Amino acid sequence: MIAKRLLALAAASMLALAACSSTEANPEDKCADADFLCVGLVTDTGKVDDKSFNQSAHDGAKAAAEEAGGFYKYVETIDSKDYANNIKQFTDKSYDVIVTVGFLMAEATVVAAAENPNTHFIGVDQFQGETIDNVTGLIFPEDQAGYAAGYLAGLMTETNKLGQVLGLEIPPVQMFAKGFEAGAKAANDAVSVTTVYHPPADNGFNDPEWGAAEAAKQLAQGADVIFGAGGNTGNGALLEIAKTEGAGESLFCVGVDTDQWNTLPQAQPCLITSAMKLITDGTKGLVLAVQDGSIAGGNFVGKTGLADFHDFSTVIPEDVQARVADIVAGLADGSIQTGVTL
Amino acid sequence: MSEAVKPKSAFGRVWDFAVRYQGVVVPVVALLLAFTIGGVLIALQGVNPFNAYNSLFRAALFSGDGLLRTLQKATPLILTGMAVSIALRVGLFNIGAQGQLIFGALASAYFGYSLAGAPTIVILPAALAAGILAGAMWASIAGLLKAYRGVHEVISTIMLNSIAYGLIEFLISGPLQEPDQVLLRTPAVAENARLGNIGSIPIAFIGAVLLAFLVAWMLNRTTTGFQFNTVGKNKFAALYSGMKISRLTVLAMVFSGGLAGLGGAIETLGIVHRYESGFNVGLGFDGITIALLARANPLATIPAALLVAMLRAGSASLQFDTGIKPEVVDLLLAITLLLVSIPVLANILFRDRAQKQDNVTSGWGS
Repeated sequence: MIAKRLLALAAASMLALAACSSTEANPEDKCADADFLCVGLVTDTGKVDDKSFNQSAHDGAKAAAEEAGGFYKYVETIDSKDYANNIKQFTDKSYDVIVTVGFLMAEATVVAAAENPNTHFIGVDQFQGETIDNVTGLIFPEDQAGYAAGYLAGLMTETNKLGQVLGLEIPPVQMFAKGFEAGAKAANDAVSVTTVYHPPADNGFNDPEWGAAEAAKQLAQGADVIFGAGGNTGNGALLEIAKTEGAGESLFCVGVDTDQWNTLPQAQPCLITSAMKLITDGTKGLVLAVQDGSIAGGNFVGKTGLADFHDFSTVIPEDVQARVADIVAGLADGSIQTGVTL
Repeated sequence: MSEAVKPKSAFGRVWDFAVRYQGVVVPVVALLLAFTIGGVLIALQGVNPFNAYNSLFRAALFSGDGLLRTLQKATPLILTGMAVSIALRVGLFNIGAQGQLIFGALASAYFGYSLAGAPTIVILPAALAAGILAGAMWASIAGLLKAYRGVHEVISTIMLNSIAYGLIEFLISGPLQEPDQVLLRTPAVAENARLGNIGSIPIAFIGAVLLAFLVAWMLNRTTTGFQFNTVGKNKFAALYSGMKISRLTVLAMVFSGGLAGLGGAIETLGIVHRYESGFNVGLGFDGITIALLARANPLATIPAALLVAMLRAGSASLQFDTGIKPEVVDLLLAITLLLVSIPVLANILFRDRAQKQDNVTSGWGS
């Protein structure tokens, strides 16, 4: 009787496992061909649907592969020790382009590039100290996006007090923060800016409770426009402000990286704009540049920008909108300098 | 089941064998069941589960450096698994292996780079010993609190994990940080303090396996081991027979923390070659999984750790080849653990011949 139980169990297992089978031609086999573009992407201990950094790069790489009629695939990193192995998955199959996402993968990317001279690597947010022919670092002038957002904030504030709730104190975040402060002071020299970085920790970009608590503190001190920049930590700040009475009337918040009106709709009550890094466009452009052979090693400076005002286009006075538009144009053509240095 | 007088059929003999070794049979059946359930879930996503498992295990064992990576991942897990197991034998649930491990990892990194230039015979033992001592010291805090103040070790070790994180982040963002570096990490350890591999086998793995035999011998054949087990089974009986419970509690935590600290040290010296924030995530907590899978048997931590390591080493290829999210391996582990740690499966399979399972976590209420 017990034997029957065991046999039934085994039979059920076999049936379940044999339930499906399929074989299809694998487009990957063509990756070694010179005229077929294969694009791989490795995330930085994150998911491709993180509504932020990884997702933006993923969208760009995917769009580029589609446009070039090529093939795209990604691997999500779980453990930082696996960076090299995850990159190797793609180099083993002779992929043409590999996008590695994030500052922390810079070393693993350079090592893999040296071992695979025929593959081109695109490192998002990876500043290249020295030029390597098959590595292009996609970096952004975050200070410009911060400056434009700060300029708007400086014109919108009634209390002349601004706040910033930030992720870890690393270069991209510092550039945003210093740009924001410089822009705010350029718009309104009476303004004071309270800046707080997340203390060093593993969860620096994923600590919404801390972000919310810091935002509440700054609100209590009279800040009425707050810049939340630091992944999920910044999101915590934005959501806290969105929940506070007066959100969208006397209290405003500014998002970061992507247009957070779309990626973080719960922040809409206070979100006047976002200081954006156009990662998707930058990644897509670089992948296509590999395809047409115009890619170069070293650093490629991507674009930043100010997100649409969405519903706040009727709240923000027209003359303010016009002045901010002038600033954005001036930053783009180089006639306005942020003066930010690290 | 009253056919005891009849001569046994071949099947009956196999069955007796299975009943006798149900400590092995139950986990294996649990594993098969977990893979079946996982296979159904994979099939529901439109992927042939045979292909998926094939890609997972091929990557973990037979491809290029797959075996090396599997063994590298298994090594710290054997050590943290034993760390949790030793504590369980005394009836203590050491949730703090993670904190003890990262302290060990940092201490060995510190000695690994600050003694740079010293001969291998000095620097390597010093770095390893520093790791063991750091882990043991950190765990002994929880042991002392438990023994002399009655603070429950689950609470104290969890809190010590957080304190360890805070303290270490402070150290690597200031005093021990690599110069001119924005990342939170120490300088790299000296070349001659690094643990290498013999072919596809990391030296540290061999050490961990030998240590497992040593720990098994200690628990089963020495007075200290006997006292540990006695305290764990019934501390009132142990007390009545004159054993010093307080001292044994602290000693068990010291052993436990030392093993976890060694796990951190070999990660630093063998894999990462420095201490870096974000690199030793979860190893201590995986130790809990492994100790429970192994039912606190130090030798059984080896296959348990190998299983977990194989799944983790192959998960990237699984996603690369089939698009299945790598988290599916955690699902497989969770199902296996659930089936092993609750006695239901043994009761279904063996009915009245199922062994009474020791309650490995008897430390809870005390």
